[in-house]
Amino acid sequence: MENNKKVLVIDDEAQIRRVLELKFKNRGYQVIMAKNGEQGFDIIQKQKPDIVISDINMPIMDGKTLCEKTNGLKKYRSFLTIIITARINPEDRDWIDTLQDTLFMEKPFSPARIVEAVEQYIGGQG
Amino acid sequence: MQFKRIGIALLVFTLVGIGIFTQILIRQEEKESTQDIYYKGNQLVSLISLHSIHDFEGGKHDFFIRTIMEYTSCQGLVYCFIYDRNGKPIVSLTPGNLESEIPNHIQTESLAAMGSTYQPFKTMGSGHKIYEFSRAIFENGEKTGTVRIGLKPPSISIISMQRVSLMAMIAFFIISAVIIVYYGFVKYLKPLEQFVENISNTHNGSATVLNNSSKNFRIAPMMEEFKNSMVQFKKRVEKIETNNKDLASKVGVLRFEKNQVTNILNSINFGIIITDIQDNVGHINDYMLNLLNIARPDVMDQPLEEIIQHPEIISFISQQERLEHARASTHIDTEFAERAPGKTFRISCSLLMDGETAVIGKIIMLNNVTREKAAEKATLEFTAHLSHELITPLTTIKSYSEMLMDGEIEDSETQKEFYNTINSETSRLSRLIKDLLNLSKIQMGSLTLNKGLVKSDWFFGDCIAAVEGAAQEKNISIQKHLPDNFPSLMGDKDQLKGAVINILSNAVKYTPTNGEIHFSLKEENNRVIFDIKDTGYGMSEEDLSHIFDKFYRSSNPQIVEQQGTGLGLAITSEIIALHEGEIEVQSEPGNGTRFTVKIPKEEYYLGKQ
Repeated sequence: MENNKKVLVIDDEAQIRRVLELKFKNRGYQVIMAKNGEQGFDIIQKQKPDIVISDINMPIMDGKTLCEKTNGLKKYRSFLTIIITARINPEDRDWIDTLQDTLFMEKPFSPARIVEAVEQYIGGQG
Repeated sequence: MQFKRIGIALLVFTLVGIGIFTQILIRQEEKESTQDIYYKGNQLVSLISLHSIHDFEGGKHDFFIRTIMEYTSCQGLVYCFIYDRNGKPIVSLTPGNLESEIPNHIQTESLAAMGSTYQPFKTMGSGHKIYEFSRAIFENGEKTGTVRIGLKPPSISIISMQRVSLMAMIAFFIISAVIIVYYGFVKYLKPLEQFVENISNTHNGSATVLNNSSKNFRIAPMMEEFKNSMVQFKKRVEKIETNNKDLASKVGVLRFEKNQVTNILNSINFGIIITDIQDNVGHINDYMLNLLNIARPDVMDQPLEEIIQHPEIISFISQQERLEHARASTHIDTEFAERAPGKTFRISCSLLMDGETAVIGKIIMLNNVTREKAAEKATLEFTAHLSHELITPLTTIKSYSEMLMDGEIEDSETQKEFYNTINSETSRLSRLIKDLLNLSKIQMGSLTLNKGLVKSDWFFGDCIAAVEGAAQEKNISIQKHLPDNFPSLMGDKDQLKGAVINILSNAVKYTPTNGEIHFSLKEENNRVIFDIKDTGYGMSEEDLSHIFDKFYRSSNPQIVEQQGTGLGLAITSEIIALHEGEIEVQSEPGNGTRFTVKIPKEEYYLGKQ
């Protein structure tokens, strides 16, 4: 079952990319991958994914910077950002609340739960 | 001596004095009267002898007698004889039997004289003093007669009116003088008495002796009192002097102790300032003076704010006052950018208490925590890295497992891939945990090395065997460079192997395919030297300075570290250190890396034993 939604997976760890790629491809999503924040930012601008799943600790540009940069874009086109992070502080929670359409998932994560969150968002959209 | 007695003595003395004085007066009067008589006598006989002898004969005889009588009754004339040239008395005026009492030689003498005579004598019977005057009567150069008179000195009565009144007057003056002096004395004595009483009261509490004596004439008790007071006074002065000596030695001790405190303060390796309640500096130690670059005399008793011109510190210290009831001391970490750039100082402030409740000042302590801060930072970074390194394989394991369990992987190749990945990630995790424990043990000093003799040829071979597989996969050739004689070393074979293998596997990882690794073994200066040179990517100076850090990852995009734990070189360097060896690295980006490990030979240890 194909759908026309694009998912961008940004993580410097190949295994994480792999598992998410498979998970979403199995559900008919189009999956794009990036190894760091800079690549990710580029893809967001050019290919306009509907979902962005991103790690925090990455070289070149980390997840936090990416989010702040892309938050502005959501005024024109809304998309979901899911941040995968090892530890979430109260400050981080507060910071995420200031962003639009942004969730967080703690590592180790469950791919099923990520899919759930995505489908909830899409359901809400449509 | 009582004053009464003095008075009586004085009175007696006065009377005696008067008596003596009277006697003297009497003698004086007698002398005067004798002179008077002498003068009068001579005058009278001279007068009489001027007359002619014939004046006394015949009829003129009575006239003369009457005249003489008048004269003599007032003048003490006792007798008068006039003789003619033959010594026959013409006139004879004399009371009764007086003539018989006149010694004969007197008459003889007088009659015989041609001039005048003066003969005092005493009458033979009654012993009265009589002064005889005689003179020859001359007429025409011839002695025609002789006149003789006798004069009696006037009796001096001791008790005459004049004398009594004079004596009374003298006595009066003396007595009144004495009285005046006495009262004057007493009057002047009174303040002295008061003074002595005061002194006495100071020492004894009351003028004991004075109070017990009678009211008047109390010089003796007063002097006694005074003496007592002086004795007490002297005792007190002695006591004060002893106390002073005591105090001087106590001050000496205190000064010494203060110096001790000052010495202690100046010896410690952090800064201390002690202020009073008004925030003026009471003590400041050398460490603090050096840091602030000030001199002690300039800052003693100065307000703290002027000495520490650091608003953050000053506001922290003033905050401490408000916490005074809690009596807690917290701290702030700050810097002194100009004086100690790059260093961090911890300032803490405690209230100085006197007993339980009285605040008497503040103690401000300043400690260089630069190293501690760096260590804190390193620990935080390590923890962050560690979490990351642990979570990552776990994430993979969990998510892959989940997908497999959900049946989402239908393709058997993919399934195999997933199982393998789970397996390898589990291994990775376990390696990491092992490395972590190993490193932890080493750093806590609880690692026990199994030191034994390590033959370098076997060692060398084992190390290569461990990385051969990985090298072959990348077609990297390992060149061996061996010595003629293989030295032995003392050490824990497994740990050392682990250390060297770390380096070798890094060399394999960071050398691209078809590269070379040169592994050499040699002996130099009693040490066994392992040298590993690769033709890999090399690293920048920045990376070089951090390669032994835990979890350090190069920022070079060419280098993608996936399989390692990040702790390899950290453990290697610790192991080498435990074997009293050295490790050196040289590298240049694009020109490969060279590691040199030097371990002391076995003789070194034998020699030590």
